[in-house]
Amino acid sequence: MSPSAMNPAAANPGGEDPLGPRVRGLFAALRHAGEPAATGTARVLCGEAGREQRGTRVRFMLRLAGKRLVEVRYRAYGCPYTLAACEWLATQLEHGGRDSIGGPADWAQHLGVPPARLGRLLVVEDALRAALAVADKTVTNS
Amino acid sequence: MSRAVPVYLDYAATSPADPQVAAAMSECLTRDGVFGNPSSMHLHGRLARERVERARAQAAALIHVEPQQLVWTSGATESNNLAILGSARASAKRGRHLITARTEHKSVLDPCHRLEHEGFQVTYLDTDRDGLIAPERVREALRADTVLVSIMHANNEIGVLQDIEAIAAICHERAVPLHVDAAQSAGKVGLDVARLGCDLLSFTAHKLYGPKGIGALYFAPPRRAALQPLIFGGGHERGLRSGTLAVHQIVGFGVACELAAERWAADAAHCERLRARLWRGLSAIDGVLLNGHATRRVAGILNVSFSGVEGESLLMGLGELSLSTGSACISESDEPSYVLRALGRDTELAQSSLRFSLGRYSTEEEIDLAIAAVTREVQRLRAVAP
Repeated sequence: MSPSAMNPAAANPGGEDPLGPRVRGLFAALRHAGEPAATGTARVLCGEAGREQRGTRVRFMLRLAGKRLVEVRYRAYGCPYTLAACEWLATQLEHGGRDSIGGPADWAQHLGVPPARLGRLLVVEDALRAALAVADKTVTNS
Repeated sequence: MSRAVPVYLDYAATSPADPQVAAAMSECLTRDGVFGNPSSMHLHGRLARERVERARAQAAALIHVEPQQLVWTSGATESNNLAILGSARASAKRGRHLITARTEHKSVLDPCHRLEHEGFQVTYLDTDRDGLIAPERVREALRADTVLVSIMHANNEIGVLQDIEAIAAICHERAVPLHVDAAQSAGKVGLDVARLGCDLLSFTAHKLYGPKGIGALYFAPPRRAALQPLIFGGGHERGLRSGTLAVHQIVGFGVACELAAERWAADAAHCERLRARLWRGLSAIDGVLLNGHATRRVAGILNVSFSGVEGESLLMGLGELSLSTGSACISESDEPSYVLRALGRDTELAQSSLRFSLGRYSTEEEIDLAIAAVTREVQRLRAVAP
């Protein structure tokens, strides 16, 4: 029998999760990852930031119906905090709009992101702000 | 199939104690056991001393040296510190230059950095793309004032084995002592110090199915290597390492060494077979790269990069496996593996690596589960990447 099979930790596996339950839950179910639904009339606007070589790359895609934001999707390469932040922001934007999201300091506090990883959240912010800026410009010009 | 406990594939980090080790240790803790202080002259002390010396003989036999050439320490980190700081400081009047490699463990690199603060100079050798050090690079780096060369035997991240015999021969031509960190090779390969030719060798119990908190340093006769102690207070271990000896840990280490001497070849064959199975399964995934030389390696370590996948996310997605990433993992640091960077891997690949380390208790079922889990998670993360 292997130690894994007879390990008494089976009764309480895991111990303290370094990611925390909130990040763990978001990371495990990246429901907003991928492309927005293809529809004939909607506009999809993108913002992107970061590079894989630097450890983080994020692209946000916003689908507008008229002036209304109806869908947020993202693609991301990065650490679990990065992916969790993208997922959380996509959910917040869809349900509460841009006023509900705050800034990287708020995200870090909400998700329990350690100080060494705050730089990753700045990449997420850059990508999101870029997408929102394109959306604003599009709405203004329409 | 679901399991209550993750599959353990992190034997290079530490191994579970063998049940015989645990049983022997438990005999040295309680009132009816051998709990005495080995420095005491009474019967309890003498019984403890006898156990300590038996363990010293067992540990010495594993690496084929004389028992009196071993000093007990708290583990490989202390052994490496004692070897490097102790040797350099003891030889400071003769010279102030050391040679080591960029891919060494932090318990070698950090003492070297400490010595630089004390006025020593250190040459950090580069490896080739397979993680190997050409012995000729050591020859080129040797100087008239070189007092120590420290090169690890098996690398803890990628498992490659350095050509210690050739490096030792070069060092001895110039009468420069060679220290070898053998934390990842003791009990995994046949270790014969006389054949290796090194003058100092560090090893530890918990990598070879012994307890944590105990290790040893082999040192050659004083004509070949000088040592200054780091810990004072009682003059234990012939003045090289003061402090009451931890009898239960030493006894456990001794039993683990005796078992390793009997089993290392069978363990290595077992790990080799499972590692090949693991690599066959993982290499079926696109964009997979083996880190380190394909054949000059210990049997139990496989380090793999997965292009387009961030290593920490991959690791965190593999909840059914207990293993380590070659990158920063979940440490405070956000830096990729300095070992993989030293091999010439770019930052992205260095960040996308996992270290699988197998052991005596690993099974085919566990390997197959690992292959399935990694394949699933790599696909998931690549699917969400830009």
